[in-house]
Amino acid sequence: MSTSPRKRPAPDVFVAGLVLLILVALVVAIFLTGFGNTLYPPDAVTAQGREVRGLYNIVFAIAVAIFLLVEGLIVWSVLRYRRRPSDTELPVQTHGNNMVEVIWTVIPTVIVLYMFVISWQTLNHVDAVSAQPDIRIHAIAGQFQWQFEYLDQDGKKVATQLAPAYDVDTGLGGMAVPVGRSVQVTLDSPDVIHAFYVPQFLFKRDVVPGMTNKFEFNVDVTEAGQVFRGQCAELCGTGHRKMLFNVIALSQGDYDTWLRALIEKSNATPAPLPSGTVLNVTAEGIKFDSASLEVPADAPFAIAFTNKDPAGVTHDIDIQDSSGTVLQKQETIDGGTSANYTYTPLPAGTYTFFCSIHANMTGTLTVK
Amino acid sequence: MATHALNPATSTYSRGVLYDWLTTTDHKKIGIMYVINSFLFFLIGGILALVVRTELAAPGLQFLSDEHVYNEMFTMHATMMIFLFVIPMLAGLGNYIVPLQIGAPDMAFPRINALSLWMLPLGGILLISSFFTGGTAAAGWTSYPPLSLDGPLKSPGSGQDLWIVALILIGTSSILGGINFLVTIFKMRAPGMTLFRMPIMVWTVLVTSVLVVMATPVITSALVMLFIDRNYGGHFFDPFGGGSAVLYQNIFWFYSHPAVYVMILPAMGVISEVLPVFSRKPLFGYKAFIFATAGIGALGFSVWAHHMFTTGAVFLPFFSLLTFLIAVPTGVKMFNWVFTLFRGQLTFSTPLIFAIGFLTMFLIGGINGAFSASVPVDFALHDTYWVVAHIHYVLFGGSVFGVFAGLYYWFPKMTGRMLDESLGKIHFVLMFVGFNLTFFPMHMLGLEGMPRRIADYAADAGWNNWNMAATIGGFVIATSILPFLWNVFASLRNGKIAGDDPWEGNTLEWATSSPPPPYNFDHLPEIRSERPVFDARHGVEGH
Amino acid sequence: MPDTASKVTEGAASIVTADSHAIVTADHSPVGGLAHDARGGISNPILGMLLFISSEVMFFAGLFAAYFSTRANFVDANGVKEWPPSEFAHILNPFSLILVATIVLILSSVTLQMAIWAIRKDDRRGFIRNMAVTFILGILFLVMQAIDYSWLFADGLTMGSGPFGTTYFTLTGFHGAHVFGGVIMLGVVLYRGLTGQFSSRHHDAVEAASLYWHFVDVVWIILFSILYFL
Repeated sequence: MSTSPRKRPAPDVFVAGLVLLILVALVVAIFLTGFGNTLYPPDAVTAQGREVRGLYNIVFAIAVAIFLLVEGLIVWSVLRYRRRPSDTELPVQTHGNNMVEVIWTVIPTVIVLYMFVISWQTLNHVDAVSAQPDIRIHAIAGQFQWQFEYLDQDGKKVATQLAPAYDVDTGLGGMAVPVGRSVQVTLDSPDVIHAFYVPQFLFKRDVVPGMTNKFEFNVDVTEAGQVFRGQCAELCGTGHRKMLFNVIALSQGDYDTWLRALIEKSNATPAPLPSGTVLNVTAEGIKFDSASLEVPADAPFAIAFTNKDPAGVTHDIDIQDSSGTVLQKQETIDGGTSANYTYTPLPAGTYTFFCSIHANMTGTLTVK
Repeated sequence: MATHALNPATSTYSRGVLYDWLTTTDHKKIGIMYVINSFLFFLIGGILALVVRTELAAPGLQFLSDEHVYNEMFTMHATMMIFLFVIPMLAGLGNYIVPLQIGAPDMAFPRINALSLWMLPLGGILLISSFFTGGTAAAGWTSYPPLSLDGPLKSPGSGQDLWIVALILIGTSSILGGINFLVTIFKMRAPGMTLFRMPIMVWTVLVTSVLVVMATPVITSALVMLFIDRNYGGHFFDPFGGGSAVLYQNIFWFYSHPAVYVMILPAMGVISEVLPVFSRKPLFGYKAFIFATAGIGALGFSVWAHHMFTTGAVFLPFFSLLTFLIAVPTGVKMFNWVFTLFRGQLTFSTPLIFAIGFLTMFLIGGINGAFSASVPVDFALHDTYWVVAHIHYVLFGGSVFGVFAGLYYWFPKMTGRMLDESLGKIHFVLMFVGFNLTFFPMHMLGLEGMPRRIADYAADAGWNNWNMAATIGGFVIATSILPFLWNVFASLRNGKIAGDDPWEGNTLEWATSSPPPPYNFDHLPEIRSERPVFDARHGVEGH
Repeated sequence: MPDTASKVTEGAASIVTADSHAIVTADHSPVGGLAHDARGGISNPILGMLLFISSEVMFFAGLFAAYFSTRANFVDANGVKEWPPSEFAHILNPFSLILVATIVLILSSVTLQMAIWAIRKDDRRGFIRNMAVTFILGILFLVMQAIDYSWLFADGLTMGSGPFGTTYFTLTGFHGAHVFGGVIMLGVVLYRGLTGQFSSRHHDAVEAASLYWHFVDVVWIILFSILYFL
């Protein structure tokens, strides 16, 4: 083949330089305006997350370099080699060049092997679980709520956090962990596949029914007092978007206090049933046993609620008015347990009682 | 060039046009019907995508009343786009072009070819009918059990069953089509058309067909087992009855990863036809390109579990390594294309513009895929909008731009009329801008932690602006289809007459009339290279 | 691959003449191209059938993968890892009707092959006789499988009997469906044979159907060995 350069009105160097200049200017502009930060994941808050972030930075740098090189070549070729009216002769018919083809096979191979090796090394750190972690938490993801069981060193359950989301007003709820300690989470599902995902951990792991997944993380000491968002990342049905939770990073002292309070709450005897109207409601098979309830107007009432679904399937009975405004909320209870819910007086009218976890579990509450 | 039709059937008696099209076994008519059928599902799937984007434009559930409807929308969007648009659209282009490019009078099994075609609208109608029979499938196009099993809060109702049956039908159509392509390519090539003189388009269809024939029956088996679990009390995938949820994922992705190459390889073939013609140069590294295509096909069977890195049930380093390695043959192709442009004489007709759109966008789709090959990075990005961005940069930026490059390129051959260049360029600009406006922000959304397949997000999560941008982009893409539709309509009525070879093409389809007569050729040029028509035009000094 | 025209043109393009060009055109007349393949070697229908069989192999590979995965993971309600599960331990007895059915199916492959040999020698009577026997043996297998199913149902093994029942009936059921398809194919071939459509030169359909039938037979032998002996 012949590769002798042909005469062109615009010198190659000029066009190539222009393309290079534009691309570099573009990159500089992107990062000077702060726009470039949106191309990075959030700052990691765990030791493992920082490793992933470090890896991301390398992969991203290689990606940008390859992108600029190839995109630059395309743009340059497009600008440089448009057909001109003077082009009556065919261009040189180049069928290939073994040397450059070998080069552009070998160099990418080396690059991807390098990326594989550093990925593997990082994986070994990120995926490692220790035999004796400082804290053990058993997270159960059921449709459509998380619960977190705190285990002692022998794997025995000491307390259950049934409220997965942190409530700013009450300061309650969420999965609290001490900073700087190794936290091992085991994952189980009683129904479908979910995924434990905290963006600031740069990590997720599927919660697969029938198998128990395990992972470990250490929240940085500097993050004490922070609250991180978490969310189910695997489509799990009609309540998928609502499967939110929070991870709360606490200093060791605060964490101990928090866990003691949770243990006390778990061990507390259920509130006795008040005198007055008491209704019995049972939930089984993601259904209430009654579609309509009736209570007297302007008087307190109570519901003795039994959840007969399997463990991991949580329910509650909240009340909303016809416009959809939630009037009274109760705490969820786990499958296989029961609770006594007390409600404040309601004026006469028609209301809806519903399970806040399962959109299909509703019924009519008539107050008269 | 030859235009005389040797057509014993129609010269003796004539039938109605409609009857003729409905009963035809002519690969060209079948190919055109493939394309039209696929395009209809592209429009329906596009409308579903707009519904999804409209709901996500702002936080809150305001457009759709119910999260379940949202789940139905994205499930149907993906199912239609993948199984009823991209795969059959490329199969349709192949159906039209492959026999012409290898100098064959028709496909090897014309009646089976017609059967493959007509199974598609049947499958599509089954899928659509689920809208009217109590709701469609809503477990995502992947339909992972246990969510896709029967039961409260899972997938009760007939929608999921119709989805399974429709997919088995469409898959069978693909298998029969793949067998037909393989026999056609192996047995029906014109004298002189050796394997290494076949156009790249034919090579990509060949590799694609191998993938289809070997991989599609595997998903059929997964779907059959899912159907048995749902309807006959089976226990394949129910973890509480002795089955395994991850088993389905393994079998599903054993098909569905090769299926990604089924969706992109023929589009690469289209690009490899368009770039040489419009730069007046041969494809740089013809044989390397073929080996890269075969390499992608082979590696495609051993990377399925990279969709399952976060399940905790696969051997991560192996699948990570092979996934990274796929970047090598893909990179080889990218360089081959760029060096085809290099030192060429580029004519910026619409097919070339779409082909360059393919190069620039598919490059991004390849690069952002490498992030997910790195297992720890995938832990962060998996099941977020990053993955949605990746799949669309590959399948929209790649396949759809490739499909439009092919449609603009071969429309004159199919109809004998040229499409309007100005409308084509308007189409491209709108689509290119809309595409990037829709899908580039999804990278940021994914990095910020927005999971895919959620109907709603918190207003204070910081995702509002990117979502609004993506929604606006979606409507820009939809708008870009209008000039295309008008272009086709107007050009069919009074477009410029194309002539046999309007682009100065290289391959045999340009050696016959536009549109070609039944049985395609009564005279073939000599075939001494992969560019027989180029050789006939320029003689041997072109080499 | 016989490719004379290209060999003429390949080395020296300059010797291409009007004559050689005419050969190309004649070789490739539309009717000729449709009536039989443009190239020698294996015929279109047989290549098509071989490809179809490879896709069927992958279908059964999917089912077998599911079977082995399910079997490897199986733990019964008492936590015992045993396959077949104890309650079905003696239900699958290979030395019963199913063995007869297996022999019948293997015999049918033999008679089918004899039919092929007959038609290759233009022995139409022998062909039809062997085809008819094959057809009847195929139906006999299906009948025996149905009887065997009814016995298993009576013993309490159904599709819903845990992973064991599910995999057993899925694997054997889909094999049975393939036998059913094969029997229909054999019936069509037999009918066409009776009307005298086959000869030693023209019997691709017979060869293709026999490939399919042998494939179904081999699948059964594997299936039988795995389900009853492994």
